[in-house]
Amino acid sequence: MTTLLQFENVSFAFGQQNILDGVSFHLEEGCCAALIGPNGVGKTTLLRLSAGLLRCSSGYISVGGQAVTGLRRLERAQRIALVPQQVEVPFDFRVQQIVEQGRAPYLRLFGGPTRKDQVAVERAMALTDVAPLAHRVFNELSGGERQRVKIALGLAQEPQLLLLDEPTQNLDIGRQVELLDLVASLRREGITILAAIHDLQLIPEAFSSVLLLTPEQRLIHGRPQDILRPEILEKAFNCPPRRHPVLVHQNLTLKAKIV
Amino acid sequence: MEVEVAEPKIFTPVVSSRHTASLGAILCILTVVLLAAMLFSMTVGAVHVSLRTILEAAMAQHSVPASDATILLQVRLPRIIAAAIIGAALSIAGLLFQGLFRNPMADPYVIGSSGGAALGASVGLFLLPQFSMLGFSTISLSAFAGSVVTIALVYWLARTGGRTQVVTLLLAGFGVSTMLSYSTYFMELLNQNYGLGMSVLVSWFHGTIDVPRWTQLAVAGGMVCAAGSICLPLARRLNTLALGEEYAQQLGIHLEYTRIAIIVTGSLLVAGAVSLGGLISFVGLVVPHLVRLVMGPDNVRLLPVTAIAGALFLVLTDTAARTLLAPTEVPVGVLSAFIGGPFFLYLLRRTKREYKL
Repeated sequence: MTTLLQFENVSFAFGQQNILDGVSFHLEEGCCAALIGPNGVGKTTLLRLSAGLLRCSSGYISVGGQAVTGLRRLERAQRIALVPQQVEVPFDFRVQQIVEQGRAPYLRLFGGPTRKDQVAVERAMALTDVAPLAHRVFNELSGGERQRVKIALGLAQEPQLLLLDEPTQNLDIGRQVELLDLVASLRREGITILAAIHDLQLIPEAFSSVLLLTPEQRLIHGRPQDILRPEILEKAFNCPPRRHPVLVHQNLTLKAKIV
Repeated sequence: MEVEVAEPKIFTPVVSSRHTASLGAILCILTVVLLAAMLFSMTVGAVHVSLRTILEAAMAQHSVPASDATILLQVRLPRIIAAAIIGAALSIAGLLFQGLFRNPMADPYVIGSSGGAALGASVGLFLLPQFSMLGFSTISLSAFAGSVVTIALVYWLARTGGRTQVVTLLLAGFGVSTMLSYSTYFMELLNQNYGLGMSVLVSWFHGTIDVPRWTQLAVAGGMVCAAGSICLPLARRLNTLALGEEYAQQLGIHLEYTRIAIIVTGSLLVAGAVSLGGLISFVGLVVPHLVRLVMGPDNVRLLPVTAIAGALFLVLTDTAARTLLAPTEVPVGVLSAFIGGPFFLYLLRRTKREYKL
């Protein structure tokens, strides 16, 4: 297995405030990692750093052996796709037009899309099952459908690394499960995924590893069953176990597994 | 003319026909309608010249009375072409600004770029009335500078937290426009005291298409064509920009360069238009909108259609301006405001509902 994404002692400060402080980890090619941690701990920042949209104040980030900030813009966008939390589209673009934007890094200045671009868009829409929505207006879609379209856009970039920022946010439990099924199917396609996620109970099914970012800005990396343990989560999320339904649930399932 | 039916793409379960209307067919129809409108516009005015006379004039001038030929070639034709150029330029500029601000209510007039061009022109006229460079008059050059500076200022003022808010945009635009229009009054006053081209400014202010000299037409037309050809790659980027800054950046677009390219191109278009016709409001708002309703939001398809539709709109408006109260002329800016104003208010209301401000 080769390393795809590597953080070496990465720090990031926003003004006076340290958001990340000396974070190190690496992701193998083809793995599917969940990034968890309490609100405001820097999950989005970590994703944006990985995508090369922010520059770290110190340390080194590489994707596929090359420094992220050393990549040219379009090359970077061809290798790494970041699916942000929110997207607002001011005009009534159709789903297919939205997904086609994923080919922007491949287009020449005066050229239009080629056959290869069309194929990539069709494949991305097929993988995420949004082909039936192709001619719907994006703004009129439900939350779950929008998430799938956004992921289709990311896949149309044909990236080595797919970064998802809270893909299950604002989805009901049924759509959350659907979305994590999609993540699991992408994982089977061999796409390397790093997803910031809040719904801890859904992690073990879809993800092969977990990165926990603690308020002390330590990063703990391990298998889901090693990280998603009550004693670790209680401390990281500063939450008494019996008061929190997820942790109670987690507690129970983990106990059940141990038994 | 037969309308082509667009070929179904691979995923076409439900396709509403209005969004797949063939681009080529629409462009052909619009071009024919534009030419017909220009021809019709040649016939009307203080002196009626029949269509037949015009066609004869086009074939061989000697068979037409000299007075008619003069009216047609020296007065009407240049003015009609000017109207077409201005309409196309303002509409494309509106399209660019709406994409840049990610806001359907941006337009060269509302966000103050036209006002900036006018102030620039009046300052230029005051300081260097006789100056010209490469055939560009002081008015064109300083209008361009005024337009660039103003839109950069409004853009900077209207941005909060990485996006442009509707309310802030409108306030910044109106604020800057108002300051500019009073500054323009002030410049007028100064110009009056020094006995300079006051009447030029007054006609500018109300948006009247004068009878331009052919050289003026060539210069403004050149500016508009140059800007129009930069627009094609910009239109594709505008589609990506519609997804928002974070997405555009993520997709490898250089935000600052793209924005600057759009601002400079839009200002070039506005300056070209303003140097011919002064302040003509709302064309840049109404036309891209109507076209978007028919063609969908894809800027690559919108660009050529908007240009021709804008030319058509202003040729018709200017024809009405010349004939409604003939022989008195209504400034074309007044007419386009009569049409554009209510439309703008309708949009404002609709946007308020959608964006829940």
